[in-house]
Amino acid sequence: MDVKLILSLLAENVERTGYPVPVDVERIYSWAKPLNLPRGGRAVLYTGALYQLAPYINSLVRHLESLEGRRAGGLALRLAKTLGKIIDLGKVVAKADPGEIKAVEEVLRSIARLLSAAGVEYGYLYEDDMYSGVILYDMGLDEAFARHAKMVAETLEKSGASLIITVDPHTTHVLRSVFPEYVDGFGLEVKNYLEILSENIDSLKPRRGEAGYRVVIHDPCFYARHEGIVEEPRQLLRFAGLEVEEPPRSGKMTYCCGGPVEAVSPSLSRRIAETRLRELQGVGGRIVTMCPICYVNLRRVGGKVEDIALHLSRRLL
Amino acid sequence: MAAWGRSRLLEEAGKCAYCGFCEAVCPTLPYGRHRGYGPRGRVLLTAHLARGGKASPEVLSSIYTCLTCAACTLKCPAGIDIPALVRAARSLLVAVHEKTII
Repeated sequence: MDVKLILSLLAENVERTGYPVPVDVERIYSWAKPLNLPRGGRAVLYTGALYQLAPYINSLVRHLESLEGRRAGGLALRLAKTLGKIIDLGKVVAKADPGEIKAVEEVLRSIARLLSAAGVEYGYLYEDDMYSGVILYDMGLDEAFARHAKMVAETLEKSGASLIITVDPHTTHVLRSVFPEYVDGFGLEVKNYLEILSENIDSLKPRRGEAGYRVVIHDPCFYARHEGIVEEPRQLLRFAGLEVEEPPRSGKMTYCCGGPVEAVSPSLSRRIAETRLRELQGVGGRIVTMCPICYVNLRRVGGKVEDIALHLSRRLL
Repeated sequence: MAAWGRSRLLEEAGKCAYCGFCEAVCPTLPYGRHRGYGPRGRVLLTAHLARGGKASPEVLSSIYTCLTCAACTLKCPAGIDIPALVRAARSLLVAVHEKTII
């Protein structure tokens, strides 16, 4: 394991480009184009770019995994040889799975449509929909994180919004529970879309006459343990007419998908993901994820998984 | 929260009674090479680093393979926030070894 190299790679990318892996900024907001969402407003949808980045991160992890398996030379040397120079990750992430990119964009459109169906008025940030900087925080790069968080906070404040709607567990946690500690005077209200849908559940209508199916729920650690979001997804899935099954480890005692160490140790990450996938498959039913990192990590080990937003939109829109 | 300094880190790590209840729920421990891949080992090693101990490759592996999933904190009778402790150790490593870590 070459911690130094991986850290410098991610940190340098965030500092230089704003994202942990190089990606064209248009790819971050192009999902919203067909929806004609207004710009800004009292409430704004802030994706933090994590869903959009997940396929590119996955492509990088697959590359690191292939290097990890080779014997000759240290990882640094092997990485340098394959990339030319460390920062040039473009050709690695260019191999991102187009199917995965399409899928995460569809998740975001589903989330947006569900919010509209629930009567929520909100706008979008488009090119100001910045990455939250969560990887810098996780890795203990405090100063770099504080600088990045300040930029994100200023951009969100400039939008004029008082309510920020988040869509994934990591961005929700970092914005709601970490930003107030790192950014002086950060006072924006942060709510996750599942919480908002749950509050407005009476405005939603399940489709009539369609047979439900069984789903098994995989709670993300950062929803269940850090942000207390456990009941909302279950309530929404049941309301949508689906039969919700619990895996052996669920709710607050959920089992991590292994995603957070995917770059530092792809093989460790894989073994944890395989263990979790077996557990989920053992229950029977379609596997529901709610986090882009869980989604790509369980997929990397062969899991057939689908985001909660797709299940809900199919039944509620 | 903003990462803890050395003294807070030592104070938190000092609450550990080494009971090991945390180890049963840690996803990384069963697949790691040693106990450093579990919460109890990580708490011990954060204290080691806070006292100025050496950041060997295996210490780095221990600290950087934590998922910060927080399953362990629900089992800890002393109520140690282990993900916060691990992030503090990472932050300390960056601050102390800036030239060597990144």
